[in-house]
Amino acid sequence: MLSDNELLRYSRHLLLEEVSEAGQNKLKQANVLIIGMGGLGAPAALYLAAAGIGHLVLNDFDDIEVSNLQRQITYQNSDIGESKVEVTKQRLQQLNPDIKVRSINKQMPEQQLSMELTMADLVLDCTDNMATRQMINKACVDAKVPLIVGAAIRLEGQLMFFDHSQPESPCYHCLFPNSEEQTLNCSNSGIIGPVVGTIGTLQALEAIKYFVGLPSGIKNKLKLFDGKTLDWQTFAINKDTQCSVCGQV
Amino acid sequence: MKIQVNEQALTLPNSMNLEQLLKHLEKPLMGSAVAVNMQVISRSEWTQYNINEGDNISLFQAIAGG
Repeated sequence: MLSDNELLRYSRHLLLEEVSEAGQNKLKQANVLIIGMGGLGAPAALYLAAAGIGHLVLNDFDDIEVSNLQRQITYQNSDIGESKVEVTKQRLQQLNPDIKVRSINKQMPEQQLSMELTMADLVLDCTDNMATRQMINKACVDAKVPLIVGAAIRLEGQLMFFDHSQPESPCYHCLFPNSEEQTLNCSNSGIIGPVVGTIGTLQALEAIKYFVGLPSGIKNKLKLFDGKTLDWQTFAINKDTQCSVCGQV
Repeated sequence: MKIQVNEQALTLPNSMNLEQLLKHLEKPLMGSAVAVNMQVISRSEWTQYNINEGDNISLFQAIAGG
């Protein structure tokens, strides 16, 4: 049931048979948890708020630094020193007052993350370190919540979607089982803004497709993006029956 | 045996499995992922997968940035 204002706001969705009013209502009812409000989370949150995802939960624990502004396009110079989730929440509510946005300004321990997952239909992993990525993956496997993972450094991006509501789904740990140490991140390797922005934008696209019922191009797949050539490589991921996270499920 | 590794032709001196290939190429085992003919091979299966003539092997690293 969309209001007159919503019919206008989402008119370009409603023109698409792939979305239409039925799909827009599904977006309105959706609950998405976005973890990480950096270069991935910035475009992902903006696009999901603009698209009318009804309930967004934003999680990060960082304050905005000047070095973030080269790529984290939700923030302005005057926001330096402010909380990332609070600034993003305000920005999203100004963009779309029809949606509900909640912020969690802390590093969530496993127990709190599990509690949040009971209310989430989908999680976007937009984080910047391997330990958190592994923790989110395990929590999503346990809670059977679908997970869209994005990552980027230098001129390279990685994108994958694991639908943990399906017991045969592989998981992030099947792909990268022992990578807690020496993993490359933006602070130690550098990053070009539009590369990480491309990956975050595609996380938002896959989220919208998931809720309106369009098949994903990345389910149980890893997409590698080369920002130098703009080439994509696609790899199939099978469940590792020996996986210590999802193999016993 | 002739194979492709990350789109470069490579001749292996003898038959080997995927773990032996990474060691042969002096690649780190930690944080690496391996795909053969666009299919990811789980870490637990590296020693069981014997490389075949003409295999197209992709090696890449986990990245965490965001």
